Amino acid sequence: MEVFVTFLLNLIYISATLALIALGLAMVFGLLGVMNMAHGEFVMLGAYSVYVVQLAGQHFLWAIPVAIVICVMVGWLMEWLVVRHLYSRPFDTLLATWGVAILIRKGVEVIFTRDYKSVNQVMPGTIDLLGVSYPAYRLLLVALIIVLFVALFTWYQKSKAGLKIRAMVQGPELAAAVGIDTARLSRLTFIIGVSTAGLAGVLLAPLVRVEPYIGLDYLMSSFFILIVGGLGTLEGLLIGSTVIGGTDAIVSTVFDKTAGYMSVLLISILFLWLRPDGIFYRR
Amino acid sequence: MKRRDFIKTSMAAAAFTAASQGNIFSAMAAPKLKVGVMIPLSGPAALFGPSTKNVAQMAAEKINSGGGILGRKIEILFGDAGLPPAEAAQTALRMWRGQGCEAFVGMHNSAVRGAYNNVFKGQVPYVYTPNYEGGECANGVYYVGETPAQSVVPTMKWLAGEKKLKKFYLIGNDYNWPRDTNVIAKKTISELGGKVVGEEYMPFTVDNFDSSLAKIKETGADMVLITLVGGASVTFNRAFASFGLSDKVIRLGTLIDENTLLGIGAENSKNIYSAASYFANVQTNEAKAFAKEYAKKFGSKAPVLNALSGSAYDGLIALDTIAERAGSLSTKKMDSVAEGSEWDSPRGRAKMSNRHLTLDIYLATAIGTNFKIVKTFSRQDPGNFCKA
Repeated sequence: MEVFVTFLLNLIYISATLALIALGLAMVFGLLGVMNMAHGEFVMLGAYSVYVVQLAGQHFLWAIPVAIVICVMVGWLMEWLVVRHLYSRPFDTLLATWGVAILIRKGVEVIFTRDYKSVNQVMPGTIDLLGVSYPAYRLLLVALIIVLFVALFTWYQKSKAGLKIRAMVQGPELAAAVGIDTARLSRLTFIIGVSTAGLAGVLLAPLVRVEPYIGLDYLMSSFFILIVGGLGTLEGLLIGSTVIGGTDAIVSTVFDKTAGYMSVLLISILFLWLRPDGIFYRR
Repeated sequence: MKRRDFIKTSMAAAAFTAASQGNIFSAMAAPKLKVGVMIPLSGPAALFGPSTKNVAQMAAEKINSGGGILGRKIEILFGDAGLPPAEAAQTALRMWRGQGCEAFVGMHNSAVRGAYNNVFKGQVPYVYTPNYEGGECANGVYYVGETPAQSVVPTMKWLAGEKKLKKFYLIGNDYNWPRDTNVIAKKTISELGGKVVGEEYMPFTVDNFDSSLAKIKETGADMVLITLVGGASVTFNRAFASFGLSDKVIRLGTLIDENTLLGIGAENSKNIYSAASYFANVQTNEAKAFAKEYAKKFGSKAPVLNALSGSAYDGLIALDTIAERAGSLSTKKMDSVAEGSEWDSPRGRAKMSNRHLTLDIYLATAIGTNFKIVKTFSRQDPGNFCKA
């Protein structure tokens, strides 16, 4: 029983955090068609924001505005200098954003060196839940992610900006014709996308290792999720994270981690082959 | 530019370059001895590059201030050993045949060592410095790192006795160093009358250890032997503590260095033990002087010293000692006199035995993000892998 509950909690935790990590990429790729290879680097910038705030002796929560300011600035600059010239040229954006990713990584390496940085735990200790003790911060994180997704979903469905974005995604020319400033809207979408990645970095920093190269891991897992979940819907994103996280968790528990990782790769390959548009397909 | 001007300018430039390197005055002296120092400058282990680089320079200065090797001042050329083995081997070949390196010192993983062995084939002296799984005795290769017989066996036995440990869980990355180390660990555990309750090898891409942690908890292990490397070790140990396991379960590793401990963080380091032949705060006079000089030279913000950089220092001293003893850089002559070579270094007194070193091994425990030495196992024998 205890083992099962731990397993279940682990599964919920991994699915939720994966969804959070992939959210920004899903937005930018799904809505703008930009494969942002620097996505993981924004997660990394978020994690370093926590480190900087900690160095300054400030409370953890300050890292959220710091990370958002940094990500908005870097994201805005990146969109303005590079990405906006390359909309609807997927392969070019892939290469260009990969270049930006290297630049960000190396920039952070120059400032902070390659050393591992340790971020203090926010809520150390465990909470007893259904007979098992589970890390308190993980439970808080899962709750936060659920709130975030509900808020985002509501905003996207109900708000005017959400409506405009949906209009732009369905037909950019038509949207522009009825007076929607698609260039501005694209920039906004891009910036919000990378900022959620930064936010993910902040929230995960107390749990993970922090060094300049962590972005690559997050980019990889985000890829797998999008392959399974498809693009452009939040439902797809959530299902993608659950399938990827769940498969890994189940197979790793029954067999070992190597089998778990292999099954994730296998599922991704099968999806690319048989259902290249993922479970949910927007158009 | 007129031809005459061109010649004048380039001659001036050449003279200037020569003068700035100090060669103009030493042109009559013996040519410098180029030593290739192979360290990870890229890839996942690049983290260990900077401190190793600094330490290698310190060793070179020390050797040069004592007159160099065989009367020749040494010059260090750094090569990237953080590449895939085949590429790393190409770099080494270029440095050997192209740039004229006459000896090599390497601080890198075993896969790259294998590739170098295939390039050098015992024709050029090569000192391999980090701790490794043991078991080799190639011509012209000198191993100055700890073997599991030195680092794992005595420390595990001592900890098991002190803490009454019975159930052991082995977790490492999936390659030969963790697997070979665990073969020896398992033998030790059975000698102790303990039980191996789990053994797992992780691909390098894994960054979630939840299923392993659940197994560790379920099996009731009272010690985990960690042979995870770098980032994997950091992530694993952080998650380990967050599940509240650090209060009850002892963690022992032979590659948990000062960098890794910094990443693990003070809150997550309770009951971590690390075994190595060097720690940044070893309290011997030699080690203290070394750490002080390092801080003076590279500043207080310099990359932290650890067992890996400490081993690289010893690597250069080993090369110097053995070559002087042989009176030559010929690997045949060096092989024949290597046995019994002795020297002092920040790690303590080292004595070559079957191409490996008899060394003092320290067992340290983590206090926050610092190591405190709790026990010294003196003069540990590396084992003999040179049997015909």
